[in-house]
Amino acid sequence: MTAKLSDKATGQRLVKAGISEAANHKGPEYWFDFNQAIPGSQRLLLGAAGWITFVLVWHITSQMDLAPERLYPGPVAVFGALQELFIEQSFLSDVMASLTRILVSFSIALAIALPLGILMGSFARVDAALNPLMGAWRYLPAPAFIPLLLMWLGTGDTQKIALLLMGVVFFLIIMLADVTRQTPKVLIETAKTLGGGRRIILWTVLFRHSLPGYVDTCRQMLAVSWTYLVIAEIVAATDGIGAMMMRARRFVHVDDIMAGIVTIGVLGLLLDTVFRLIYRKSFPYLGRGHS
Amino acid sequence: MSVHQGLSVTGVSKTFQSGGRAVQALENISLGLPAGKVGVLLGPSGCGKSTLLRMIAGLEKPSDGTITLNGRAVNRPGRDRGMVFQDYSSFPWLSVRDNVAYGLKINGDRNALNEGTVDHFIRAVGLEKFADVFPHQLSGGMRQRVAIARTLANYPELLLMDEPFGALDPETRWQMQDLLLNVVRKERSTVMVVSHDIEEALYLGDVVFFLSRHPGRLRETIFTDFKSSLPQNDREAFLQSDDYRRLELHIRRLMRDEGLDAA
Ligand SMILES: Nc1ncnc2c1ncn2[C@@H]1O[C@H](COP(=O)(O)OP(=O)(O)O)[C@@H](O)[C@H]1O
Ligand SMILES: [Mg+2]
Repeated sequence: MTAKLSDKATGQRLVKAGISEAANHKGPEYWFDFNQAIPGSQRLLLGAAGWITFVLVWHITSQMDLAPERLYPGPVAVFGALQELFIEQSFLSDVMASLTRILVSFSIALAIALPLGILMGSFARVDAALNPLMGAWRYLPAPAFIPLLLMWLGTGDTQKIALLLMGVVFFLIIMLADVTRQTPKVLIETAKTLGGGRRIILWTVLFRHSLPGYVDTCRQMLAVSWTYLVIAEIVAATDGIGAMMMRARRFVHVDDIMAGIVTIGVLGLLLDTVFRLIYRKSFPYLGRGHS
Repeated sequence: MSVHQGLSVTGVSKTFQSGGRAVQALENISLGLPAGKVGVLLGPSGCGKSTLLRMIAGLEKPSDGTITLNGRAVNRPGRDRGMVFQDYSSFPWLSVRDNVAYGLKINGDRNALNEGTVDHFIRAVGLEKFADVFPHQLSGGMRQRVAIARTLANYPELLLMDEPFGALDPETRWQMQDLLLNVVRKERSTVMVVSHDIEEALYLGDVVFFLSRHPGRLRETIFTDFKSSLPQNDREAFLQSDDYRRLELHIRRLMRDEGLDAA
């Protein structure tokens, strides 16, 4: 272990030394080496540069009379509209309505998918019984059910949550089952020869080993959930981010529509970041580069 | 050798169904290992060593024959037969200490936990400085020590090991062999080790069971009584003894008969 730890330390020192040495030359071999790790400060700077370029291009093109200002507002107008939406109109309650739909539908989806996924991933016979059914449902696009859901459940929240649930739950079941199934057999057999019964092995080995994978799967499926949310709210809704955007369309308030898009993007990114943080804090044993 | 104390394998055969074909891995194996002894299953690759060990662990069922440990028939895996696998299997989410405590915890063995059993075995394998570290921070040899400590802390009646040091570099492997012998002598454990290495088999084993291939049969049982007159933990004296050289040559010839030169 000592050997291994010190190997790592020298490795890092060598990497750092290599970078500073090459930085003195700053030739193309430094800037465009294949798939090299780069310092965190450079990563941040380059990422910011990408964003600044994008906003600048947007701003300049919006000033160039390519289209009427009200159809193609620039970033300044859109951020102004965003501010106005939050302060003067009750956009916050729209955002909360959308977030609530996401959280409620995703909680229900998880409550259904987790037990099924664990059982399918742990027991080949449960998998054989359910996988063909759940796997097929995945390929029915949830929006195809909108007319049906509208007739059955009306235009209220129930219909939207049902759509979000349909869009996510089958993928979630199959993915959680896959994660569970990847538990190494040798860990299960180790627990067996230590005297572990089925219930104990299910929780202390299969479930515990899969936990990081479950969190990661949830993160990915939440992104999918956002997609269905916008569809649900655009089709029929009186509140929510999508509904606000459809209202704005009627009065050709393009800046409001764009503000809605920005809001959706930022919220999605925030949710993703929260999950990444949970992942990093909860599973310190997943050292980088190890499994 | 008492029939009831220790491991006894009687007329065990194993046939696998593989792709519609029946493959006989083991045929009519009978052997006994008295309590407190170290046995080694030695033989060329594919002769069924792992299969036999897994049947003793209860992870596979014999097609024929019976296995008993201390008089009780083996049907399924159990706490009485702890197994150390080749690939350093540690629970990655548990620290070294929690890995070693795992067996006692799932068995609800409060007494052993309170008596400091866990720390005792962490010390026995020399990992006291690393008790709070996660397995991925350890080298292969150290992870295998975690596995040994975890298995012994659970007080199995029989310790099973499938080529436990096979993937280690020679220097580490020698250290681990001495460490294992010291621990099992002190704990008076009964051990069955799988090996394909002649030196390792003779160094570890009180008795070596040589298996031949296709199908796997018990070809010869070799006792290593000569070691009792040698100083313990002295590999050089062991390697230079006439008895070792004679047995090593003998087993090498058996290996050659199997169509596989000992590597
Ligand atoms: N689960 C299995 N299914 C089919 N054949 C198997 C299985 N396990 C082992 N075998 C076969 O049994 C024989 C013995 O294998 P094994 O016990 O792994 O040998 P060893 O450990 O001595 O190398 C080999 O021919 C192997 O292919
Ligand atoms: Mg083997």
